[in-house]
Amino acid sequence: MDASSDTMTANPLALEVLQGFSGTKLELLYRQPSTALAVFRRMLPHLAKTIVMAMLYMPNPFLASDLDAWIRPDAVAEKEQALLVLSSLHVMKTAMQAQGLAQHKSFGVPCRPAGDEVVDIKILDEHARRQWEDILYYMVGSTTVGVEGKSHISDATKSLLELGNFVDKRGRITQTGFTFLLQEVNAQVWSLLIVYLNHAPELLKMDPVEILSFIFMLGSLELGQGYSTANLSSTQKQMLDDLADFGIIYRPSPSTPFFYPTRLATTLTSDASALHSSAAAPTPTFDTGLAGGSGAASKGYIIVETNYRLYAYTESMLQISVLALFTRLTMLFPNMVTGRLTKTSVQRAIAQGITADQIISYLAAHAHPQMLKSTPVLPPTVVDQIRLWQIEGDRMTTTSGYMMIEFATEAEYRDTVEYAETVGLLVWKSDAKRCFFVNRIEQIKSYMANRRGRA
Amino acid sequence: MSNKMTKRKATGLDTPDSVNSDTDASDIRQAVSHFSLETYSKRRKTDDGPSTSELRDFSSLPLKDDHVNRPLWIEPEKGRIIVESFSRPSRGPKTFSSELQSHNLVLFAAVSIGWTTSDILHRLKFYCKTAVPQAIQDFIIVSTSSFGKVRLVLKHTKYYIESSDEQVLQKLLRDEVIGACRIDSSEEFTKEAAPKMGALAIPGTKAAAGARQAEVAVQERPAEDEDDEVVRQEREMLNALREDDEEEEMDQVHSFQIAPENAQKVSKRCREINLPLTEEYDFRNDEANANLDIDLKPSVQIRPYQEQALSKMFGNGRARSGIIVLPCGAGKTLVGITAACTIVLCTSVMSVVQWRAEFLKWSNIDPSDILVFTADNKQQSHFNKNTGVVIATYNMITQSRSHDAMKILDFITKREWGLMLLDEVHVVPAEMFKKVTYSVASHCKLGLTATLLREDNKIEDLNFLIGPKLYEANWQELSQQGHIARVQCAEVWCPMTPEFYTEYLRANTVNKRGLLFTMNPRKFQACQFLINFHEQRGDKVIVFSDNVYALKAYALKMKRPFIYGGTPQNERQQVLDNFQFNPATNTVFLSKIGDTSLDLPEATCLIQISSHFGSRRQEAQRLGRILRAKRRNDEGFNAFFYSLVSKDTNEMYYATKRQAFLVDQGYAFKVITHLQGIEKMPELAYTTPEERRELLQDVLLQNETAGEAEVISEDLFSEYGARKTKKGARRTAGTLSELSGGQDMAYIEYNKSSNKGLKKKKGYQNSFMKGLARKADRVAAAKRENEGVYWCPGLKDNRDA
Amino acid sequence: MVKALKGVLVQCDPSIKAILLKIDADSGNEYIIEDLDEGTLFVKESKVASLKEKLKVTLKETVRENTDSDSE
Repeated sequence: MDASSDTMTANPLALEVLQGFSGTKLELLYRQPSTALAVFRRMLPHLAKTIVMAMLYMPNPFLASDLDAWIRPDAVAEKEQALLVLSSLHVMKTAMQAQGLAQHKSFGVPCRPAGDEVVDIKILDEHARRQWEDILYYMVGSTTVGVEGKSHISDATKSLLELGNFVDKRGRITQTGFTFLLQEVNAQVWSLLIVYLNHAPELLKMDPVEILSFIFMLGSLELGQGYSTANLSSTQKQMLDDLADFGIIYRPSPSTPFFYPTRLATTLTSDASALHSSAAAPTPTFDTGLAGGSGAASKGYIIVETNYRLYAYTESMLQISVLALFTRLTMLFPNMVTGRLTKTSVQRAIAQGITADQIISYLAAHAHPQMLKSTPVLPPTVVDQIRLWQIEGDRMTTTSGYMMIEFATEAEYRDTVEYAETVGLLVWKSDAKRCFFVNRIEQIKSYMANRRGRA
Repeated sequence: MSNKMTKRKATGLDTPDSVNSDTDASDIRQAVSHFSLETYSKRRKTDDGPSTSELRDFSSLPLKDDHVNRPLWIEPEKGRIIVESFSRPSRGPKTFSSELQSHNLVLFAAVSIGWTTSDILHRLKFYCKTAVPQAIQDFIIVSTSSFGKVRLVLKHTKYYIESSDEQVLQKLLRDEVIGACRIDSSEEFTKEAAPKMGALAIPGTKAAAGARQAEVAVQERPAEDEDDEVVRQEREMLNALREDDEEEEMDQVHSFQIAPENAQKVSKRCREINLPLTEEYDFRNDEANANLDIDLKPSVQIRPYQEQALSKMFGNGRARSGIIVLPCGAGKTLVGITAACTIVLCTSVMSVVQWRAEFLKWSNIDPSDILVFTADNKQQSHFNKNTGVVIATYNMITQSRSHDAMKILDFITKREWGLMLLDEVHVVPAEMFKKVTYSVASHCKLGLTATLLREDNKIEDLNFLIGPKLYEANWQELSQQGHIARVQCAEVWCPMTPEFYTEYLRANTVNKRGLLFTMNPRKFQACQFLINFHEQRGDKVIVFSDNVYALKAYALKMKRPFIYGGTPQNERQQVLDNFQFNPATNTVFLSKIGDTSLDLPEATCLIQISSHFGSRRQEAQRLGRILRAKRRNDEGFNAFFYSLVSKDTNEMYYATKRQAFLVDQGYAFKVITHLQGIEKMPELAYTTPEERRELLQDVLLQNETAGEAEVISEDLFSEYGARKTKKGARRTAGTLSELSGGQDMAYIEYNKSSNKGLKKKKGYQNSFMKGLARKADRVAAAKRENEGVYWCPGLKDNRDA
Repeated sequence: MVKALKGVLVQCDPSIKAILLKIDADSGNEYIIEDLDEGTLFVKESKVASLKEKLKVTLKETVRENTDSDSE
């Protein structure tokens, strides 16, 4: 949705998966330059990238305390986070290995298709959009009242969505599914691939390293270019069917010895979120139905009035279904649907995990050109109200954790509470009662042990 | 009279005002707006089924190729119309706010009261993006085919059902309800007497002139519009229809008489059997009733929307009964336009006074021609000439028992009235209406209201008691044009203090709970803060509280004057005068007696601390109190409307309901969860737990009735306020006679009143007030220059004739 | 010696706290370990879900939730 936050947040899931890998697995992965590049580009926080760049050509390890000198004291939290990521990914030891820039199979083997059959980018985009929209529509279709679903996705994909907890056993969208749905396409693809990565090894006896390196390789391929399947591993060949199902690659027929990556693939590891803004990409981009019709001009389709009425110029069942998630839709005309944002409809969506901000940014991102003439785009009272509805639905915040009590001395209390605050674990404190509440205890424990050691 | 006039109205004369004007989509909206929902609304209720499958699918309606250029969708089931008001981008640039406004795709149910069947259908087809759903076409054909066939006519204080079609009358008589109401026993229908037909010849020429006018108007329109085939066909069709009409005019008219007390019953029944009666008054040809010598003062300019409203009423050269909905009380001098004598009914003595003042202010009427009829003013029981204006309260007409009153009542009921003007129609109980409309024989009834809203759904009753809605103004448009003030609306959330909330949770009656959330110290603080803030900005503030205990508690604590039902008449006047003219009195607390009829153009800020449950009407009424703010045309001026709501109480729930009407009118309520700087305000009340506990104790000690909303039987429909006045003041006549004259006397007497804030200035008060009164005259004169009133230019020729 | 008590910190408006206290009192102090300050409670972890549910019900009753009964 929001392009600026994209590089940091688009695939936290992928990051999580990688962090769960063992050191050896990661080293295997990093042997593939394409993977190393992808991890560097897409996985690392900005600060971590900087640290890696700086350390890349250092002959010797350098002291962690030297690192502190680079970083402003008020950014300690970011530093800790960067170091944590780097070490959990074993990048600290292996960053150098990403050096092989020579010709390498990991960037794919281009292949001229047999015969003169030309697969142009339009076909690829078409394929990708259709396949991906079908998946999305399958997820939301069930929630739309009164509109017949028409989804044809493979059973494998259906069970994958269920495994990923995007839909429940009856195929109804879940909280995770909501969040998934409102993500931009690139993040959606990643989310689905991660589910794939998590479950395929077990179910299909696939090698996770192979899967991941194939995914990373796809990200480095060129749109419109065909690639040979010859030097893919057996796991990777097995993946082709599924990836074609998702619309990530295109194969004229399942037996052709080559495949084409679609835009969903080629933007996987690119830094720019090219899917939404045509300016960012050299070639025309595509959007899924979620983003409106083709072309930037007709992109915005939603009108929201101060009286909470909503009018959406759309024929896309996918868009209508998405609106139905948080709108009380009333009338469907050939080119427009009407509805109303109500407390019930919004809170229902919120209860299922969608956030007020997600709704607001969806409405704003797809606002009709008429709406764009005014600033702010959405009526402020409506925006406020949606947020208030969320707050209203969640009147108490609960935090699990530990209440620290019975400090022997004021100094001990003060010291510990300050530490807890610095590392961001402190939730609540009462100096008068000399107690405080933290959401995690391990670090506090070791800090207190150290403190006692020092004393 | 005959039905031809009705027919004519249906074709030609009514169309120009909507179509001839700029064919911008927003005008189309207005054009559509005089379709009325009435018949349909009943239907709607039945199919509002469970909310499970709400989305109704009309996507199979065929979309026209050029749908982009057409602004309407029509929903086939309920006939609602959605207007895309921005669909003609070529209409020129619009300002930001009107852009927002034009986003208002407005929904309308379409049932015609004005156009012919084919006229409507044609228009809908023309503007609709899709094919017009067959069901809608059928519905329009069925329901309009019977329109204008039958009329209710008042002649010589007798009621007749009249039609040019004998068979329709036969059909009516066969109806058991209507048949039973007939009081002339002859077998035959009364054929229209020759004199009447003769009289028709005169309007014939006049109406013909009107028709020509309409024709020109219709023909002008296509020139403005794209001159395409459709338009041309349309024009030809209209012309053809008009010719049909001319022929019909030669028809004879038949009628039978019904008892006056059954007039409403028959009217209602006719509606039910789809032969709605039209009530029109051909006042130009009324030779029986004398014309009143009245005209607007020459300096008065009428505003466009007022003209529009009036053209709806007098669209065919006759006065049509119905209701005009305009925000706040600007419509008063409408009465000036009627040819025969007029009776005005209003809700309280206060508004009787104001009505009289309005007459004098805007028109050249001879003051002696105005007869005021209230509990304190019932001596005069006849006009000086043979015609005039009577201003009375509803109560006087329906409940008077005294000898003097009976005499006047007799005078009123024995004669025929040209126009009966019913003020604030939405608040008057249906029963009272019935009485009034039966006992006062009037040719034409005009209802005025700011909000055609009743929580008890009695609005539909008004349709047959008075007539259809003739005109409803769009609040946002009026505001953009500067006729009413721009208002910032806010809902201020005041958290309950834990002590109050604990008690609130424990309280087991509605009244107790109401008292607790109204007296919530945080709400008090918010109120105090806002008063302070706005007084410093130079605003004049009205604080509304339905609950009298809270009203007094707040006002006393803040040392501000207040008025409630128990406040004597002249003390009320004195507080209001202070509020208007005394720069030291910038805030006044009003109970719900202030909801209607009080005209306080000085007020620029409203704060609502307690209100009547989910009453959308009250919310709109109260907002109406500041729409006429004098300063509204100041650069960047905004009026403010705050609703203080205690959080987590059912006030929240009601607040949302209350706002529904205004939100639909395009007002946006901003929710304020925290008032910036309130903690730092000096002398903020109830900052310590002790004070709050004390307040809580006091509140808890109040008995049940303290939590009740004020019982205002005396406000609208009795003379309680005025009666009380007699005890305190020597005479109320002074108050009634002149707004500026007798007050200072009353004022001195009332220095002893409970409104302490006003007491102190005793020394200079008398001369001071006189000075202010003189100033008030000047202000009024200035206002006259600036403001327009209702006036219908088409009626001037009436007096000439 | 410092102790760490496992539990859930509940932060809310004073008015919500008033409701929670009432729920707790009505149930014989099933939920709350300690009343910390105007807007904070320390609650038994196992009881949080049920407390949330009860709050929802009570709030609904207190405020009489709007049921979208809007007229169009």
